[in-house]
Amino acid sequence: MFQVLGGRSVQAARLLAPRSAVLVEAVRGRKSRTDPVAKSKEGRIKVPSAVDPVEMVVLKERYSEYELIMRALRMEFKEEVLRKKYEEEMGAQAELRARQEEEEHRSLMDWNNQENLRLLKARVLRIQQEEEEAERKKMEAAIQREQEQQEFIRQKEEEILKLQEEAKNFVTLENLDQRIDEALDNPKNYNFAIDKEGKVVKRTVLQ
Amino acid sequence: MPRYELALILKAMQRPETAAAVRRSVETLMERGAVVRDLESLGERLLPYKMTKHNQRHSRGTYFLVDFYCSPNILDHLLNHLHRDVDVVRSTVMKKEEQEPKSSCCGPSQ
Repeated sequence: MFQVLGGRSVQAARLLAPRSAVLVEAVRGRKSRTDPVAKSKEGRIKVPSAVDPVEMVVLKERYSEYELIMRALRMEFKEEVLRKKYEEEMGAQAELRARQEEEEHRSLMDWNNQENLRLLKARVLRIQQEEEEAERKKMEAAIQREQEQQEFIRQKEEEILKLQEEAKNFVTLENLDQRIDEALDNPKNYNFAIDKEGKVVKRTVLQ
Repeated sequence: MPRYELALILKAMQRPETAAAVRRSVETLMERGAVVRDLESLGERLLPYKMTKHNQRHSRGTYFLVDFYCSPNILDHLLNHLHRDVDVVRSTVMKKEEQEPKSSCCGPSQ
């Protein structure tokens, strides 16, 4: 019928103010709601326990006094907390502090702006220098390219001159007979022998 | 223009005929717009092996070397012409590389 509480519901039951030492709760037990009452319990009338009047009066007085005091204390504390909060927000110190904070904020903002200006100047300078550097490099590259081009042209001209010189010895229709006779008179021999010391022998047997 | 070298092997003939054959070949070249730079002869020699050309067996031949500048388009025609020539035993055209200044090494004899 009654069961001892244990577990999470214990704290909840304690808050709901039980008077007994052990926390008990009513539990169904064997019978459900629809089962008829037992024969032994037939004419049972539940009667509350008797009250002692004197004791009741004394208890009531004491309890009322106690509760009064407790309520007063609670109110006092609550009021203190509220007052503190109000002073915090609206009191004399609050304005001073607000003004100080504002000043601090303004000075910090000023400092920040100064820093920004300084960095801006530095950045502008740096960018300018980099631009100049790039310009200079481009000029140098252009000059280099020019020089290389000149070099190339010069080389080609040299080659042309060389070829022009050699052109004087080329074979033409007029030289042809002459050259053929020359060639037939001077047979060339490109053969040679070489030994391990590097001695070259150009005289060979022409068959 | 690229530079080529024609290694020409002619039949072993008398001097005037050889001269005529060489003249013919070089004229073919020049007709087609080649610029002949130099003409060399390696003399009449024993061929390294017997070659058969135009139904004739050759064991001796005259070697000639012609270097010239020409356009690559005409090479085909040129080789065709030389192959048809009866006096020509073998004709080979090779490309001549641009020579770097050679170190003091072996060169031609004369």
